[in-house]
Amino acid sequence: MTAAVATRDDTGGRTALRGDAVLGGLMVAPIVVTMIALVIVPLGQTLWDSLHRINPMQPGTPFIGAANYARMFTDADAGRAWTNTLLYVAIAVTVETVMGILAAAVINQVQIGRRWLLAAVILPWALPGVVNSVIWLWIYQPGAGLLNGILTAAGLPFENHVWFNDRTSAILAVAVVHVWRMLPLTVVIVLAAMQSIPGDLYEAARIDGAKRPQMFFAITLPLIRSAVAVAVTNSTVAAFNIFDEPWVLAGASLDTRPILVQIYLETFQNLRFSYGMALSLVLTAASLLVSLVFVLRLYRTTRFE
Amino acid sequence: MRKLILTLALTPLVLAGPALSQDKPLAGTSITVLMPSPQGPNIAAEFEKETGIHVDLQTLSWDDIRPKLVAALIAGTAPADVTEFDWSWTGQFSAADWYLPLNDAIDAGTVADIAGSSIFTVNGKLLGIPYTNDFRVMLINRQHFVQAGITETPKTLDQLLAAARQIKTKKIVEYPVGLPLSPTEGASTSWYLLTKAFGGELFDADFKPLFTTPDSAGYKALAFELQLLKEGLVDPAATGLRDAQINDNLFAKGLTSIMISGEPGRLGQMNDPAQSQVAGHVEAILVPTASGATRSYGLLEALAVPRASKNQKAAIEFIKWFTSGKFQVENYANGVLPTRTSALAELNKQGKLHSGDVLVEESRHVEALFPQGTPPWYPEFSTAVNTAINSAAKGQVTVDDAVASIAAAVEQAKAQ
Repeated sequence: MTAAVATRDDTGGRTALRGDAVLGGLMVAPIVVTMIALVIVPLGQTLWDSLHRINPMQPGTPFIGAANYARMFTDADAGRAWTNTLLYVAIAVTVETVMGILAAAVINQVQIGRRWLLAAVILPWALPGVVNSVIWLWIYQPGAGLLNGILTAAGLPFENHVWFNDRTSAILAVAVVHVWRMLPLTVVIVLAAMQSIPGDLYEAARIDGAKRPQMFFAITLPLIRSAVAVAVTNSTVAAFNIFDEPWVLAGASLDTRPILVQIYLETFQNLRFSYGMALSLVLTAASLLVSLVFVLRLYRTTRFE
Repeated sequence: MRKLILTLALTPLVLAGPALSQDKPLAGTSITVLMPSPQGPNIAAEFEKETGIHVDLQTLSWDDIRPKLVAALIAGTAPADVTEFDWSWTGQFSAADWYLPLNDAIDAGTVADIAGSSIFTVNGKLLGIPYTNDFRVMLINRQHFVQAGITETPKTLDQLLAAARQIKTKKIVEYPVGLPLSPTEGASTSWYLLTKAFGGELFDADFKPLFTTPDSAGYKALAFELQLLKEGLVDPAATGLRDAQINDNLFAKGLTSIMISGEPGRLGQMNDPAQSQVAGHVEAILVPTASGATRSYGLLEALAVPRASKNQKAAIEFIKWFTSGKFQVENYANGVLPTRTSALAELNKQGKLHSGDVLVEESRHVEALFPQGTPPWYPEFSTAVNTAINSAAKGQVTVDDAVASIAAAVEQAKAQ
């Protein structure tokens, strides 16, 4: 009797388990199908096409193996665009992370009008990249620009300074606009994590005589690590995909041209579609590779801490 | 009796029916047209009234049209039944075989009246009908010249340089010469014009670069541009300015006196008090050259029909109507300079053409930039030109390095 009940229970449990699995499968099916249709298949098609010569000015689409990928090593303009892109990534990720954490820490301390302050901080992120860039184009203007006006008013010789005539200042000028746009997102992510830290921990630390910097490094920073990893991943992907800012501020200038602008020129100007695809895939791989480091770090901290 | 009256009354209508449908055989058809903004507000209504063909006119900024065209055409679809077709796309779009030859659709008289049609003809195939006439002249602010005590209109580049220096010396304006040096098409087209002005060509018949040696016209043209910049005759900020920005923000505000690569179509805008602070003072002058004999080249824009269009007959009707002499004269009010010689002459006769005599005279000296046909790698060449000019203007490379980099880009593009 007992055995029969147990068998029935086992069967019922297995049935329930199978039912759960089916339900789970059904629930994830839409996203799996969507991902396959809109990401995996196009990615595979792009990879396959990048191994062919696809140029509407030339007949046929012959298989050319890795020629498009090999070409990248001798393409001086693409090389310079990669250098610029990596500079943008290094500057943007570093500044957005450091400034984002500090800004979030400051906002976290604000008691009155925090939501209004947050709304104001989010504004640059809410605006389209092109709009942000046009605003900064006016700020950087040599004659009547705000930046030169402020520096000149401070007694510095910047009356007609042209920020985009020097590569270093041009790269920094573009990076500043990108950081201006993406920093708010880092602030929001980190601030949300900070607000979830129990106040008891700070209270206990205060009773133990800990000072603010000690509390920040011993309590806040370790507990927001996961959020910082998400923010850094987001910053990295956004910086690899930078386009609006350099395009609006300096057009196709070699000094500031990132790889995405190079891809645009190769594809839509020179009509070398498969070379553009190869460059896009390498950009995706580079972006994913760097992001993967942060994602793995996030996975580890989430699982074991 | 009533039957007879009814029959008599209906007879004219019955007879007129086929005549009406013969007048407007494509009435009821709908087409899409993609052109750069801005266009006249009544184009669609006027065309529909005349032909019965409904037009969905879409306008985009000129720079945004090409990516839209290429994305649709590579996919084998028509971005519109009639599209913009710039002279600089001729080589690429012809090689891709994306557009319908219009030889049989357009009469010989029209082709003869529109001299720029040859720019859009590749291997005997006429791919587009030019509708806006853009060749280069120089625009000057006559008031600045008078204030600086300059009475003679410059005919040579030396006289032009002397005039610019005098305007600066007399402190009429700080930067007398408007010259785009940004990595944009405007920087390329200015250099092409100066290359012609120095008496040379960009390439020989086999597309071998002719601008790499110090005695070549292209080399001298770039050196001349850098000299203007070095002497403080050109605003250093020009390294970040497009030609349209120099026109609108500097020349139209009286902050500069000479537009090196002036567009005739802008004369109306420049002399309109609502749009310009220098209205009444702007004139076109014949392009000064090293020899004194003016030269210019055409940068025409055409209308064309993609092969993938499903309404090709109606599309051709639109092109015929839009490029007719009558409409071209009318469309000048919208800032579109006619491509028909007859329409230009008519406007000048009516006294409606600003600097009309100069424009008519310069139009006689308009050459093709590439007499051997626009190469398919033109866009790549143009980008190499304007990025090299931009780098040279920033002092990052010498003239030798700049022309060498352009030549290298040409060889690379040809090898592809």
